Amino acid sequence: MEDVVCNGCSLLCDDVVVEVTDGEVHSLGLCRLGHQHLLSSIESNSPQASTRESGKATEVSIDEALERAAELLLSSERPILYGWSGSTNETITLGLELAKTLGGIIATPANLGMTQALSHTLHSMDLGIDLEYVRNNGELIIYWGSDPTESSHRHPSKFAVLPRGENIPEGIESRTIGVVDVRNTETMKMANHRLIIPPGMDSAILEALVSEISGTSSIASDVAGIGPQELIGLARNIRKADCTVIFYGSGIINSGNADANLSGLQAFIEAVRGIGKQAFALPMAPESNIMGAIKSLSTDASTSSITDIVAGDFDAALVVGDDALVELPGSAAKALAQLPLVYIGPPGITSGKARVSICITDDVITGIGTMNRLDLVEIEFKQWNSQKEERLAEHDVMARLLELIRKEKS
Amino acid sequence: MAFATKMALGDVLPEDCPPLLEKGFEKNLEKLRDLVAPMQSAEETGIKLDESKCTGCGNCVVVCPVDVAVEPPTGRGKAGRSRDTVFIVENGVSKIINLEKCRRFPPDRLNCRVCEQYCCTDAIEIW
Repeated sequence: MEDVVCNGCSLLCDDVVVEVTDGEVHSLGLCRLGHQHLLSSIESNSPQASTRESGKATEVSIDEALERAAELLLSSERPILYGWSGSTNETITLGLELAKTLGGIIATPANLGMTQALSHTLHSMDLGIDLEYVRNNGELIIYWGSDPTESSHRHPSKFAVLPRGENIPEGIESRTIGVVDVRNTETMKMANHRLIIPPGMDSAILEALVSEISGTSSIASDVAGIGPQELIGLARNIRKADCTVIFYGSGIINSGNADANLSGLQAFIEAVRGIGKQAFALPMAPESNIMGAIKSLSTDASTSSITDIVAGDFDAALVVGDDALVELPGSAAKALAQLPLVYIGPPGITSGKARVSICITDDVITGIGTMNRLDLVEIEFKQWNSQKEERLAEHDVMARLLELIRKEKS
Repeated sequence: MAFATKMALGDVLPEDCPPLLEKGFEKNLEKLRDLVAPMQSAEETGIKLDESKCTGCGNCVVVCPVDVAVEPPTGRGKAGRSRDTVFIVENGVSKIINLEKCRRFPPDRLNCRVCEQYCCTDAIEIW
């Protein structure tokens, strides 16, 4: 069996092994999500390109498709280059170059809220810990508006809840777990504190906890439907724990009160640190390299919000690495589908709608490049199954497209 | 009480109790048979693992005291690779590969339920 790095989600597990014999895939350690991702990547691993006119698709060579894609993008005055959350950092760098060359705008699924969250003052509070630090020190863990049982299956067992760490000798017995969500999630089964709150009431709970932790006042009545005993009990455990870590997800970011919620988290961290204890807040997002995309694009790129797509600000689109028509909200997906569309990535709904579509080999199979894990730690893919069939890496396709466009431009 | 304990452990069946076979106790016998029916489909340890519900999260591997003793890195969250453990996550789901190593297995029959306790999707049930 060979070591692989799984890009089925943003945990980028690098402790798993795989063997492919006569088309039969055998994996150890991969979760259901990772194993299915690997299976579909292997099944669809036949590089192919097509062009589509009036709804009719024609299979073409990769070179022909690249030429058509370059032509289409060069004729655009304001293209959007969307995707990147499933691409390697090296591909994203090429995407940035291409955006500059075309005078285009670059956007990722992170524009749906995660980018704004990471640019909030909360993230200027020295939150730079990695998941290994959480494993070794996280004594009180809260999943707030995030549900790893749904999207990052191994997060609790590998890092945050169950494993033993340097200062967590008994694993789960040495930790206290809280889950705050708007519904009864499967993650709640592991929790000591389960808070089911109405949507949008996160900041009220945070405010109550802050006042209890800092001792400014005591909770006397229900807050957002949660009884004072439960809240006081959680606050007491937070005060006791040496290191509290909150993993916040779309429940915090996309509930309509993102700014108030993030400011509430900031106040919470200040309050816990104010009593001499460690506190951190880390984002949770499932897309495999969303953090790499945010990191790369936060430098000097012209980025765009999803509303610009709906407003019809663009006259062509290049989608790379993301099945955008599946992931985007309906109105944005509809607007994107109406543009002349070039798609580079694994097969999916978007590849079936694009005017030019180049289906590539998934990075889990090419084993080349790097991505950033959920905590921004850079993980390098591992090469495996090296002697096998034809491969077409997304990075190579992007490099050839960039070269073509630069040539045409000059 | 001793008979009830033996029945809960799967050592005896409701019909092993002679008074239950007497006339007038048919309903009680039926009720007890319904009650112990799931146990009879369970393994010797009473553990049932429904692979269709499993997400392969590995929680069972990390919390199982036997697995951590056999392969200590799993206790620190690493994916298990040993085939000498009770559980292994294979092809995306957890599987029981050495039931006889489970602490619940006869003759010890310890009342350990950690795998069930931390299985978020209820794929593991102990009868």
